[in-house]
Amino acid sequence: MIFSAIDEVNERLPGGERLEKSIDTTLFGESGKLDSLGLVNLIVAIEQKIEDEYGITVVLAEEGGLGDMAPFATTGNLVNHVSWILERKGI
Amino acid sequence: MNSRDSYNCILISDFNIDNMAGYLRSITEVPKINVVVAPYGQVMQFLSGDTQEYRQNKYDLAIVWTQPHKIIASFNDMINFKTVSVDDVLGEVDDFASHLLGICDKVKYVFVASWVLPIYNRGLGMLDMKFGIGTANTLMRMNVRLSENICGASNIYLLDAWRWAGIAGKNMFNPRSWYMGKIPYGNEVFREAAVDISSFLGVLSGSTKKIIILDLDDTLWGGIVGDVGWESISLGGHNHIGEAYVDFQSALKSLTNRGVLLAVVSKNDESVALEAMEKHPEMVLKPEDLAGWKINWKDKAQNIVDLMADLNLGVESAVFIDDSPFERGRVRDVLREVYTPEWPEDKRFYTQTLLSLRCFDTPYISVEDVERSKMYVSERKRKAVKKKIVSQEEWLRSCDIKVTVDEINGSSIKRTVQLINKTNQMNLTTRRMSEDVLAEWLEGDNERKMWTFRVSDRFGDSGLCGIVSIESAGREGRISDFVLSCRVMGRKIEETMLYTVLNYAHSLGLKEIYAKYISTPRNKPCLEFWEKSGFTFNEKDNIFIWNIGKKFVPPDFITIETI
Repeated sequence: MIFSAIDEVNERLPGGERLEKSIDTTLFGESGKLDSLGLVNLIVAIEQKIEDEYGITVVLAEEGGLGDMAPFATTGNLVNHVSWILERKGI
Repeated sequence: MNSRDSYNCILISDFNIDNMAGYLRSITEVPKINVVVAPYGQVMQFLSGDTQEYRQNKYDLAIVWTQPHKIIASFNDMINFKTVSVDDVLGEVDDFASHLLGICDKVKYVFVASWVLPIYNRGLGMLDMKFGIGTANTLMRMNVRLSENICGASNIYLLDAWRWAGIAGKNMFNPRSWYMGKIPYGNEVFREAAVDISSFLGVLSGSTKKIIILDLDDTLWGGIVGDVGWESISLGGHNHIGEAYVDFQSALKSLTNRGVLLAVVSKNDESVALEAMEKHPEMVLKPEDLAGWKINWKDKAQNIVDLMADLNLGVESAVFIDDSPFERGRVRDVLREVYTPEWPEDKRFYTQTLLSLRCFDTPYISVEDVERSKMYVSERKRKAVKKKIVSQEEWLRSCDIKVTVDEINGSSIKRTVQLINKTNQMNLTTRRMSEDVLAEWLEGDNERKMWTFRVSDRFGDSGLCGIVSIESAGREGRISDFVLSCRVMGRKIEETMLYTVLNYAHSLGLKEIYAKYISTPRNKPCLEFWEKSGFTFNEKDNIFIWNIGKKFVPPDFITIETI
């Protein structure tokens, strides 16, 4: 699901700036390829996919916006974050 | 118009439009789009041209996309159910339109997205389409008013954003991206808009397709006519597939009213196929609707090349439609210039697929466009007569050709610009330009003239087909444009055009006329004509020279009428 969201984000990125679909990819931060708009797009795409697949709405970046960036630093972190949110929803 | 490979574009919006910029940048087709996004929310400042970033002539294209309730304050009041006069709303639309018109002379083209509202907004519900109070009704009137206001400018286009929104359906508006990034629309909307805009820029660069080449069996009708006979093919009747074929043929025929030509390339016995077209009672397309056909057992790719040569059209102006993946693959492999769209297996989707093709868009529809199909049918008849006559000149003499020469004027400028921008083969300089640029050129310092040439003969009227312009200074004249539609090439219209311009040069007392040939991949026929024209050719500089002391004799069988 996260890789599929990465595909969507990559559609709008030039060849050299595209995200690699790997668990180790750095997404955001000093060495990340996403700017704040890119991260918003990725989060929106994942939230939409969760809604399409499980019929529930989730908020990946809780109130306070994108204050705590750790869940979005790498693809691995993001996978853990999404899993944790889904578990809390009983999925 | 602009024939170059890339456009510099600025996106001006009152929302975060960066995702659209991403889609535009990622388009791989030519022309490439170099995108700059104007600072968020500064629409009126940019339209007024009073921001530092705005530089005259820096951008080829401005795309302006606003939300109706953000840019038209009184409409915002209306959607908040305040009492608002629709006249006040429309007055604000007029103001906005005048700002849009203000940037028309600072960029080559302006694309404006029509206004849409999120579909969840039910407004006044059952009263929402009520004249004078409904928000949906007022929004429609706002778009119409905007369109009316800008229709006088030749380089501004109002684009249908409802179509983009419709493709996205319920994902048109995305609350997630709106609250997180001030991006109101889903990415499907931006993706569709970007593809449309890329296609429109292609159209403005002259890449419109002119002809659809069709297969017959299982494309125009169901079944193999050579096996089952015309009486048993699937077409019309009380049958959903038969009806789908009739609708497809009707949609094809309606495209001819836009100037799109139809032709057939089919592996069949010609007499059997034509008999089906002539005799089947539900056949919409008849042989007389076709600009030409190649119905035989040869390779389709070769037939397409031969057909296009017969029609004096480049293969790049063709679209090939065939139900067979094999034939489509063959044509795609050997004729990459021919656009061969994927075609659905299900016949009921033929019409939808045809009508969603973008390749027939044009920036302007002229009388000649509408009549083009008839002109090509006339040409086919002309050639049928020609086959019976041995000599080319004898045939031309039998055609009663008449050429009407007129100086360019308000009624011919649109068609002139269209011809200048679309003609490739008989085009001396391939100089592309917009209506405004042409008007500016005509008013330049030197003595400048431009004539248009209308051609008719006993088979029909070919319309405005030729353009010549000359610029003179001192005792020298330079032919700036020499353009002739491929429809009438080789009928000695070329010589008539030269005669007109040389006659004028003589009357001005000029001594020498020259014409610089600018080579392109497609204008070799023009060079071949000029090499035989009697002008002296300076091959080193690609310049043709004529000394006015020499007499130029026009073809004696062409009647020239000067207005």
